[in-house]
Amino acid sequence: MRKLTNFMKQQSKQFASVVKHPYFGFILFGLILLFTLYLRGMGLVTISIINAIVMTMIYSIIALGFSLLLGYGGLASLGTAGFVGLGSFIMGYFSGVLDYPLIYTLGISFVAAIVVGLVVGFISLRIEGMYLAIITLGLGEILRAFFISYDKFTGGYSGRQFRDFTLFGNAVSTEAVYIIITVLFVLAMIATLNIIKSPTGRALLAMKNSDSAAQSMGISLLKYRLLAFVISTVFAILAGMLYIMYIKFSYAPDWNLSFSLNILAAVIVGGAQSIAGIILGVFTIFGLNLAVLNYIPFFQNNSALMVIFNGVLIIVVVMFYPGGLIRLLQTLKYKIIFAFRKLKMKWKVYKYGKDD
Amino acid sequence: MAKMIDRLVLKYRILRIEKLQAKQEFLGNYRDIQVSRQNNKLLLANSRIEEAHQEKLRDFALRAGIMTKYIEQEINTLILKAETKYYWKKRALNQIMIRKAKTNKLDESQLEIIRNKKQIFLDDMLALQKQKITASFKEKAKDPEQPVALYENNSLLLDTFYEKKTQLVKDKYATKISKIETTKNHQLERIAKNIKTHKDLIAKLTKDMPKSDNGLPEDVILRLDKLTMRFGGLVAVDNLTFDVKKGEIFGLIGPNGAGKTTVFNCITKFYNPPSGCMYFRKNPVEVILLNEYPVHTIVKQGIVRTFQNVELIWELSVMDNLLVAAHSLFQTGFFGQLIHSRKLRQEEAVLRTKATGILAMLGLLPYQFGIPFGLPYGILKKIELARTLMVNPKMIILDEPAAGLNESETVELAKIIRKIRKEYNTTIFLVEHDMGLVMDVCDTICAISFGKQIAIGSPKEIQNNKIVRDAYLGEE
Repeated sequence: MRKLTNFMKQQSKQFASVVKHPYFGFILFGLILLFTLYLRGMGLVTISIINAIVMTMIYSIIALGFSLLLGYGGLASLGTAGFVGLGSFIMGYFSGVLDYPLIYTLGISFVAAIVVGLVVGFISLRIEGMYLAIITLGLGEILRAFFISYDKFTGGYSGRQFRDFTLFGNAVSTEAVYIIITVLFVLAMIATLNIIKSPTGRALLAMKNSDSAAQSMGISLLKYRLLAFVISTVFAILAGMLYIMYIKFSYAPDWNLSFSLNILAAVIVGGAQSIAGIILGVFTIFGLNLAVLNYIPFFQNNSALMVIFNGVLIIVVVMFYPGGLIRLLQTLKYKIIFAFRKLKMKWKVYKYGKDD
Repeated sequence: MAKMIDRLVLKYRILRIEKLQAKQEFLGNYRDIQVSRQNNKLLLANSRIEEAHQEKLRDFALRAGIMTKYIEQEINTLILKAETKYYWKKRALNQIMIRKAKTNKLDESQLEIIRNKKQIFLDDMLALQKQKITASFKEKAKDPEQPVALYENNSLLLDTFYEKKTQLVKDKYATKISKIETTKNHQLERIAKNIKTHKDLIAKLTKDMPKSDNGLPEDVILRLDKLTMRFGGLVAVDNLTFDVKKGEIFGLIGPNGAGKTTVFNCITKFYNPPSGCMYFRKNPVEVILLNEYPVHTIVKQGIVRTFQNVELIWELSVMDNLLVAAHSLFQTGFFGQLIHSRKLRQEEAVLRTKATGILAMLGLLPYQFGIPFGLPYGILKKIELARTLMVNPKMIILDEPAAGLNESETVELAKIIRKIRKEYNTTIFLVEHDMGLVMDVCDTICAISFGKQIAIGSPKEIQNNKIVRDAYLGEE
């Protein structure tokens, strides 16, 4: 018996070390998402829930990159929509129209991401805060105008249709695209976590808190601002490519300011510094009406109220929980734990009487 | 042309030496960490073996019907458990009686009867349990014939087995440690050899070149030469010239607005002085002109500073703050960080142990995992000091270290400054308003007023200087 308990202890230690590994939660989450696809195959989950999950995943990738900028670097950017659109059109044109192999398209998109990121990064060296947001907003609008007018590349007002995504000459089914998106989503979360926990993440936070302290400790503002913008642009362009792979259509006027603002709202509503919070925020902004509100009869009858509900939610969260939804959940958790403890104490006093 | 190439080669070799030295330090520290890890593992394994040994001994003793100390202890703990249970039951009984008295309104005599009944029942239970516990240990003795001889025989066998096993584990870890040490020492030797060859080549190259120490004497670490800084029409620093000697504590004093902090900002390149030179002795052979370096590379030359109003990173823990300070020591590239490569983890382990050492020295260990937000001002100042120590500085610049501290904290600060000078072998250059601290701690003091130097000398000379008094107190 003793031996058995010892053995159990050791096993539980090993199990705990696996569970406590920082990647475990992400991989488990990815597996759950893949399992929902399996459920869809069995007919237990409707297509709108799958769509909501995919949208949440794609927009989460954008928001993860954006949180590195806003939550860690303290740099506000409103050009996100332009970058996502650029990614979708690069994929749609080079892979869809010109039939380039995937490697070439990836190479082109990465070069584009780095170039755009560097441009915005250089701008950000001179300007900060609100003015940076305005400048990046202008950049995003320029990109949108470019998409609309340069219709050979984007399809202009008729939009860019995308045929089935091909990998090594074979057309890939929607289910496979779902799997690809899930894998990339998990990888993006892991990469973000690694960046946050590495010297780069700490340098970004140092920059946000105090420029002069960061410089005196050997952190080059130029290098890390550029790096933050390049990472966020790479994430955005990657998400754009995934978007056109799944939706199979990209419409130039869609990539406007309201999309950028939605991403900003998602990051702030969820909690700008927590990965789980960001995903939660993206789900509340983009996935909630697809996955939840569609099934509530009240909202089915008055579909305009869905948008209002979202807006009210944003206002309430920003007003009362500046740390985001994730902070709300955390406080709720602690409150429940405290309530349990109090209940336990009360029961103890009832049963055994007060301590002498 | 040839000279140009020679210079470039020289620069490359110096850079190479710096990298190799950093690697040397890292490898040495990491070797120590690995050895300590193995030692910890050895201790753990030993304790496990010991436990198993005691367990087996206990089993044999039980079978032989002998009460060893170990078994007695076990019985005692079990009895204690039963007694605590009894205690709680008694308390619960009391409560039940109180409640019954309230609700049923029974007589006291009736209550007493019920209470006595239950009390007796509980007492009986306890006695029974105690009996059971002792009996169960005796029952387990299965071999009543020749029990003692058997036990002795077995325990002897077990002892030899135990010794053998401990020896085996010891040998195993000793070989592991020696393996680590040999490989790491081999690498260190190779690096040392490399450094030596580079140094020889540098010596060869610099033989024909003119000496590049800009006329700086051997014992001077920093020289300001006619430093001037202007903001528009205002001349904040005016033709300031002085030397800071190696290993001394140098104080810069002056009334408010004299330009002390501006001098610091010039040295650390937050401002670019329009004229004047600043020479810094980076190592015994090399003297650099600080004017040529941008802000974020100053820390790599060996100069770190603190700030007048504490500038910590409030969203990171104290430990992470120190790791940010060691930013220039990380050598892993971005892609290594993206996948959290092994090298990054090793580097982080090395720097974390270093940071714990520094925190322990300054008495900050209790705060290491919390964020600095809300800590007392004296502690924050100490954290800033700890931050400067992370990068093995050659010169520490302290901007008003005693501002906002009370008297006892200031006295402690003086002690810490001396300790740092002694243990880290650095030069300390400070600006301070607290005359007590300055006079107590400094070896040399320079007094400035309106950007101009008015006096320089030992604390006593400055105290007796009439011009300094006039500058502070106003002319009579």
